[in-house]
Amino acid sequence: MFLAWHEIRRAKLRFGLLAGAVGLLVFLILFQQALLNGLITQFIGALKNQSADVLVYNDQARQNLEGSVILPDQLAAIGEVEGVAVASPLGEATFTVQADGADTDAVLFGYVLGGPGEPTTLSSGRLPEGPAEAVASAKDKDDGFGIGDTVTVIGPGGALDVKVVGIADELNFSVAPTLFVDFDTFADAKRIRGGVGPEVPVQPSVVAIAVADGVDPQTVVDRVNAEVDGVEALTRDQAVAQTPGVSSVRTSFGVILGLFYLVVPLVTGLFFLIVTFQKASALTLLRAIGASARSLVVSLLVQVVAVMAIGSLIAFGLYAFAIQGFSSLGVEVEVLPAVITSGAVLALALLTSLVAVRRVLRIDPINATTGAGVNV
Amino acid sequence: MSLKLPVRELRRRPNRFVVATAVLSFLATLLLFLGGLLDGLYLGSTGALRAQQGDAIVFSSDARESFLRSRIDPELRATIEGADGVTEVGGLGLSLLGAEVPGEDEPADVAVAGYEIAPSGVPDVSTLAPGEGTADRRLEDQGVEVGDTILVGPAQSPITIVGWVDDTSYLQQGTVWVTLDTWRAVQNANRPDSAVGDGVVQVLVVRGGGDLTSVIDAATGAATKSLTIDDAVLALPGVAQQNSTFNAIIYSTLTVVLAVVALFFSLLTLERLGLYGVLKAIGASSGRLFAGVVLQAVVVSVIAFVVGSVLALLAALSLPAEVPLQLTPGRFVFTFVALVVASVLGSAISLRKVLRVDPASAIGTAS
Repeated sequence: MFLAWHEIRRAKLRFGLLAGAVGLLVFLILFQQALLNGLITQFIGALKNQSADVLVYNDQARQNLEGSVILPDQLAAIGEVEGVAVASPLGEATFTVQADGADTDAVLFGYVLGGPGEPTTLSSGRLPEGPAEAVASAKDKDDGFGIGDTVTVIGPGGALDVKVVGIADELNFSVAPTLFVDFDTFADAKRIRGGVGPEVPVQPSVVAIAVADGVDPQTVVDRVNAEVDGVEALTRDQAVAQTPGVSSVRTSFGVILGLFYLVVPLVTGLFFLIVTFQKASALTLLRAIGASARSLVVSLLVQVVAVMAIGSLIAFGLYAFAIQGFSSLGVEVEVLPAVITSGAVLALALLTSLVAVRRVLRIDPINATTGAGVNV
Repeated sequence: MSLKLPVRELRRRPNRFVVATAVLSFLATLLLFLGGLLDGLYLGSTGALRAQQGDAIVFSSDARESFLRSRIDPELRATIEGADGVTEVGGLGLSLLGAEVPGEDEPADVAVAGYEIAPSGVPDVSTLAPGEGTADRRLEDQGVEVGDTILVGPAQSPITIVGWVDDTSYLQQGTVWVTLDTWRAVQNANRPDSAVGDGVVQVLVVRGGGDLTSVIDAATGAATKSLTIDDAVLALPGVAQQNSTFNAIIYSTLTVVLAVVALFFSLLTLERLGLYGVLKAIGASSGRLFAGVVLQAVVVSVIAFVVGSVLALLAALSLPAEVPLQLTPGRFVFTFVALVVASVLGSAISLRKVLRVDPASAIGTAS
């Protein structure tokens, strides 16, 4: 132990560089994990946290809510499928709104009040009870989407005031402020956006289904897909996972994170292997004067743990600082994932350091007496 | 001493450099993968705008630079056409829809784009008959062929593909370039609640000179929001955020490359201090010794770049098509230069140690 600390103190640049490199790598892992989770929550929170068991898309929409339109005869046919307790329209679109005195984008979800599709994560206030009332995403409550605030939808067709009466957690969609309103209010907003009159019908984006008691949502999905032409039914979880962009974001970040997890232990293992090579003479001498192999290995492992701990602390500091710049994604500093990640990279670093440990164990003290040099 | 010595060491003791090369290879793969992802996202989202042959794009002011929400009616268009410096104006409209492709089970993602001023590579609009379209080659991967009639949207509006164009996709969807009348027919049939009237377009592509964007917005009394093509590209959803986030990760990774090279060569230099003492004693200059360290760093980074590039290309082949990875020659050049520069800078950490080697230390100590 004494040797380990003493060496670190005497070679600050070496260990500092390693701790810095490890810190940056672990920071990038933490940062990207937070970004991935934040992005996905902000992309599909509204889908995940609404009450419909099954969502039915137009089959040409390729699971894209924004690109889906359900025709009236499809809605009627879906309502007739066995196992469907309630099938009601659910609309989604992005609008220009005025909130807190500024123009911004907002996503509106329109659902039949009391029916499937209502928010399930209400944290304060209440659900809408009539037209022009809304539940807003909690992340945006300080930006003009708080309870009591009025949000105005604007477009070529005029303006529509919507009053926020409730707040729900993790309710964003497409990284924009999100409001859940009744379907007729949503339809009015769409007409304003399109600059069309009340005679123009507004079709729902999808059908929200509440399945009958005791019926498996997957069974209803299979029945709808078999019995209704031109639609694609998905359970809520499937709709979340198959939202365009979500799976590609997951795969892309998965590859990037995998490479980072590979590089951190490689860098650490490389460092300690080279250091062990360099210290070969000294280690041989120590063994010759009675130091046990165990004490040398412990010393090496203490250094690995120390470097990884310092690196993780640097990483956490950078992570906490960098996250401030991404508050718009609703990303927050979380200690537990940081601890888990640090633990994982420490375990991997210890694993790759086993190569250096093996070298230490192979030291033959007799070499110190032969003058033939040392061979680790 | 010439620079043969460091090269000879690389040749005769390659094992010494293997682990560092392996680490740098993974970092090179990571840099290429990150860059390729950024390029894929950027190019796949912005092609339809980058191809525009105009000087400004004009949105209605309440659209917040969104194509879907923007509407320019004939009256507003006439005002813009009369603005100082405006020489040519063309309408543009985009609809994001699914399309049935003959012989394919899966629908294709298409962006139906009506145009007047032909974007780069897109034929003059006068060559297209109603219901005909020129498709972005991206749609070839989804089974579309020239001569196919695809059925677009829930209303199954038919569009016959008459040719290909490269690099014009929009928000990761292959664009089908059609006349404005065809686009209006598709939009009104499939998006009746966002229907557009005769002569209405979503945005205008404007050619002209001077401070075009300011002049146009002043002429319309702020009923419009005009952007240069570059600004319109950055105004697309997520594009600016993607660029800043990915670039931050790429530059942080380059800092790690620098640290790894610095670490490796400072350790190697420490190991060689005795040898350097001998070399200095027989006349080698510090500059020449340091040049040897830099040379080795460059060779290691070049080999790592080659290995990393092969790994990145293999990864690109094995990844599902949904991952928008696009490895461009420019990205390879950037990564190569960045790796070499980071390696040279990293190896410079060893300079101080090389300079401080005392030739006298060679007497009786070098081994």
